[in-house]
Amino acid sequence: MRNIALATAMAVSLSLVACGGGGGDDADGGRAQRTLLQNKGSDTLVNVAQAWAEAYREVDPSVAVAVTGGGSGTGISALINGTVDLANTSRSMKDKEIEKARQNGIEPVEHIVGYDALAVYVHKDNPIESITFAQLAAIYGEGGTTKTWDQLGITVPGAKDGKIVRVSRQNNSGTYAYFKKAVLRKDGEYKLGSLDMHGSKDVVDLVMKTPGAIGYSGLAYATHEVKLVPVARDDGAPAVMPTVATAIDRSYPIARPLFMYTRGQPEGAVATYLDWILSNDGQTIILDKGYAPVRAPVRDDLR
Amino acid sequence: MFERTELNARNDRTQALVKVLFGVMTVLLALPVLIILGMLVVRGGPMISWEFLTADPTNGMTEGGIYPALVGTIWLVSVALLISVPIGIAAALYLSEYARDTWMTRAINLAIINLAGVPSIVHALFGVGAFVLFFKFGTSILAASLTLAIMTLPVVIVATRESLQAVPHEFREACWNMGATRWQTIRRIVLPNSISGILTGVILEVSRTAGETAPIMFTGAAMFLPFLPQSVMDQTMALSLHLFAISTQVTDVPEELPYGVALVLIGLVLALNAVSIGFRTWLRGRKKW
Repeated sequence: MRNIALATAMAVSLSLVACGGGGGDDADGGRAQRTLLQNKGSDTLVNVAQAWAEAYREVDPSVAVAVTGGGSGTGISALINGTVDLANTSRSMKDKEIEKARQNGIEPVEHIVGYDALAVYVHKDNPIESITFAQLAAIYGEGGTTKTWDQLGITVPGAKDGKIVRVSRQNNSGTYAYFKKAVLRKDGEYKLGSLDMHGSKDVVDLVMKTPGAIGYSGLAYATHEVKLVPVARDDGAPAVMPTVATAIDRSYPIARPLFMYTRGQPEGAVATYLDWILSNDGQTIILDKGYAPVRAPVRDDLR
Repeated sequence: MFERTELNARNDRTQALVKVLFGVMTVLLALPVLIILGMLVVRGGPMISWEFLTADPTNGMTEGGIYPALVGTIWLVSVALLISVPIGIAAALYLSEYARDTWMTRAINLAIINLAGVPSIVHALFGVGAFVLFFKFGTSILAASLTLAIMTLPVVIVATRESLQAVPHEFREACWNMGATRWQTIRRIVLPNSISGILTGVILEVSRTAGETAPIMFTGAAMFLPFLPQSVMDQTMALSLHLFAISTQVTDVPEELPYGVALVLIGLVLALNAVSIGFRTWLRGRKKW
């Protein structure tokens, strides 16, 4: 009798395994060999990349695109290791990284797939009307002295002691690197003591809930619950509201290109996919997600 | 016969107080579980439908279902079990039934305990280095499940060893005295008497495997891949990573959606557990001691 018990135990555990494994085959059964493209990287681009992958099912059902986020650094290191076909980044690869890829026999090729306006977010009760690069550097940069909203001449209702709560990003983020380069300028470093979030959306969520907060994140993450601050490059320059239109005509000062890197010149399915991304259809999708397309407006309702 | 003294009364009061206090602690212990489950059922319950379970996610993962993630999790758990259960049970059998108490086995035991204490993100990085890059499995179910299997091996080994040692030693001695070999003893006496405990270990492993996010994030799970895996060399979506993605990366997700996904994840684990708990109870009922 004990034998039977043991045998059944094994049978059950095996059938658990079998039913799990079997589940995969039925729905898609009979489909011809599928090409799998690996697409990984920037959290800024991840939602666009996901939308592209989703729409591409209709265009070519024989190609499956696997999308994963994690940050520009994640995508680049995967490209260096040769585990992705397309790396999404919101910054260019550094010379050091290109060198490393070459050592592994991989020649990274850069493709601009769109532009992103990096918006400055504050709580919706914050009365601020515009902000300059110098003011941002004084808030975020090392050696900057701006610690309270009073120093900018405004009072924010609900902010504890008028203190500015600085919201920033983790240091392997492309957004972090770009904001540093664009706003803090050369050699600029971030002041310690900011709240470093691990995603574009987290920054906006936190600013939304914190009256004294200021944060930077992609324009695509804007909601009605937060306020976008127009940004001026210099004291005399006009403050420009971040919108898709001002990112396209480059009048908004913190707009950056978004990249996809391929291993060598794209070929086969990768090339077809990239061409489609840059086509009217692909570019309409990036526009719908709140980013600026590579070429001038692809639709009439834009301007 | 005896008079109740002041001391008796005081002892009774203390006794009553302690009982109430410990009772409250026990209820407090169960409270978080009830709150979590309650929240999930109340907020996520309305999300659950046949369509939710069997449709692909659509519209930037804010609508549609979770089918590829559900199937992916089942794949990951199954392959991980296939790898870790046989290895874990064999190792536990050796350690418990064959190995002598030498520095070698002590070192191995220590290693197993330490393996259980390694944070899952470290397992994840090990998985990338070993399975994805060195063995060139790529980001695949195989690499992810191997990582999960290594991570959960200590659970299986420890649970199996405990239940093997719970079998009274007299049983083995009686068997050996009949002239049975060690293997015959294990096969006929030790294993049948400890199978319910071993299943407990497997249950624990299933729960942990299905819920882990870090180890599969870099080794085999994709945030978005609306196709079902066709072999262990494919990448896949998974419920835990899907939950992570829709709560932290995707914008405009309906508030109830993450609750629905979490409810399905917990439901899947509970369903798998229920099967083996039922089986275990049945086995225990047949135990002769």
